[in-house]
Amino acid sequence: MLLTIKKHSSYSIIEAPERVDTLLAIDFEMALLDAGTHEDSNMVIDCSKLVYLSSSGLRVFLLVQKKMLAKGVKLRLCHLRPSIQELFDISGFSTIFPIFADLKTAITEIVNSDDLLL
Amino acid sequence: MIRIRNLSKHYGDLVVLKDVNVDIRKGEVITVIGPSGTGKSTLLRCLNLLETPTGGNIFIDDIPLLDKGTNVPKIRQRMGMVFQSFNLYAHLTVLENLTIGPVKLLGRTKAEAEARAIELLKIVGLAEKVYSLPEELSGGQKQRVAIARCMAMEPEILLFDEPTSALDPTMVSEVLAVIRRLSKEGMTMVIVTHEMDFARNISSRVFYMDEGIIYEEGPPEQIFENPVREKTKAFIHRIRSLDIRISSPNYDLYAIQAEMLTFCDKHFLPHRVSDFTLLMAEEVLLLQKDFSDIHLKLSYSEKDGTLNFVCDSAGEAFNPLKDELAEDDIGLKLIFGRCQTVDYARENNRNILLLKIKNA
Ligand SMILES: Nc1ncnc2c1ncn2[C@@H]1O[C@H](COP(=O)(O)OP(=O)(O)O)[C@@H](O)[C@H]1O
Repeated sequence: MLLTIKKHSSYSIIEAPERVDTLLAIDFEMALLDAGTHEDSNMVIDCSKLVYLSSSGLRVFLLVQKKMLAKGVKLRLCHLRPSIQELFDISGFSTIFPIFADLKTAITEIVNSDDLLL
Repeated sequence: MIRIRNLSKHYGDLVVLKDVNVDIRKGEVITVIGPSGTGKSTLLRCLNLLETPTGGNIFIDDIPLLDKGTNVPKIRQRMGMVFQSFNLYAHLTVLENLTIGPVKLLGRTKAEAEARAIELLKIVGLAEKVYSLPEELSGGQKQRVAIARCMAMEPEILLFDEPTSALDPTMVSEVLAVIRRLSKEGMTMVIVTHEMDFARNISSRVFYMDEGIIYEEGPPEQIFENPVREKTKAFIHRIRSLDIRISSPNYDLYAIQAEMLTFCDKHFLPHRVSDFTLLMAEEVLLLQKDFSDIHLKLSYSEKDGTLNFVCDSAGEAFNPLKDELAEDDIGLKLIFGRCQTVDYARENNRNILLLKIKNA
């Protein structure tokens, strides 16, 4: 799976694909881990294109977040379509993940909270 | 033109046709519908003697098909049959597929047969494929060649045995269009089909088969709008639903979801609802343990707007809603979140999961 990744000094932005189902979940997981954890940088996943997400996809988010937390880096999600947001709500994932309305607020939050740490 | 009297067909103890009595007039387009296994194919195969009936008789223009003295090959030539699986000669070109029969069996010259073949290929829209081999054609094109080949034998009656069942959904309509065109030319046709919209539009009469007989017959308006008998009613109700079968853990999720999407679109369900419906299919399948025989049913009732999704599976009793060994309950949460009710039952040694999907 080829994901669009934009790297910045303190974070990278990754664009989620249109669809993350059982068959695509492993690829998605690999791509995210490659992009995020190996670099030890904060990550924002831009979900604006994501229209289909199954439990297998949600599980990937969970796993990636766990690995990133273990490394002390942050994972942020942004720009969820209403139906995807609904799935996050139903599954209780909205309370586990910091979700932002758009990319800008997600980035601002990451940068600011990094500043606080300094 | 065709008179069927007291026709029966048994396979050992299995009575497939019990007592079929019906007349088909010249120029009629008959569609035969009904649940699978009710003998629709068998009836068709008895008609052209691919199967030997156990009892009764069939008359073609008053010639009794089953009498000893009857010239069966000659009668059979008056009927062409199109099968589900095309049955083209793989090593022959399209043109040769169409000419071999007329040359060998009807005594046509090669030139005559070729001229007619090209005419027929034009009718089915495949004139440019004259020199192609079957393997170079799509399923829909193969079936259109098969129809043309049948016509090349100059039959008076065309029998179609589920002509679109083996086709990719995208190719069904091109084949149905060809059959529809032939029906307009006054060809007598008997078509076994699962394509209900097609059956409704094309038929002069519909035979609903069940219980080894033609259980109910009538014009399409009657059968589809106002069926009279119990089982016909139940069947017509059921066909307002989508049935998908799975027999291996390597099921094709995308094909299943594509079919469900087509179904949802046909009923004008909002995108949001159809997206969630596809998701329910994936989640329900993820909960399954035994994939040897799964039957998925999606039905929609316009009357009250309910969207039901049933997963009916073989295997040991297993309630996925109460699976203590599951890794987590994310899938179940999605299912419960998007359904009004979710119920499990064990019936006839099968696991039945019934989801009433939220239609909003
Ligand atoms: N050659 C055969 N030997 C034994 N049983 C058969 C044979 N052909 C069909 N059957 C059985 O006859 C029944 C009716 O089959 P069929 O005519 O194909 O039904 P339909 O076309 O309505 O689905 C089925 O139960 C099938 O298993």
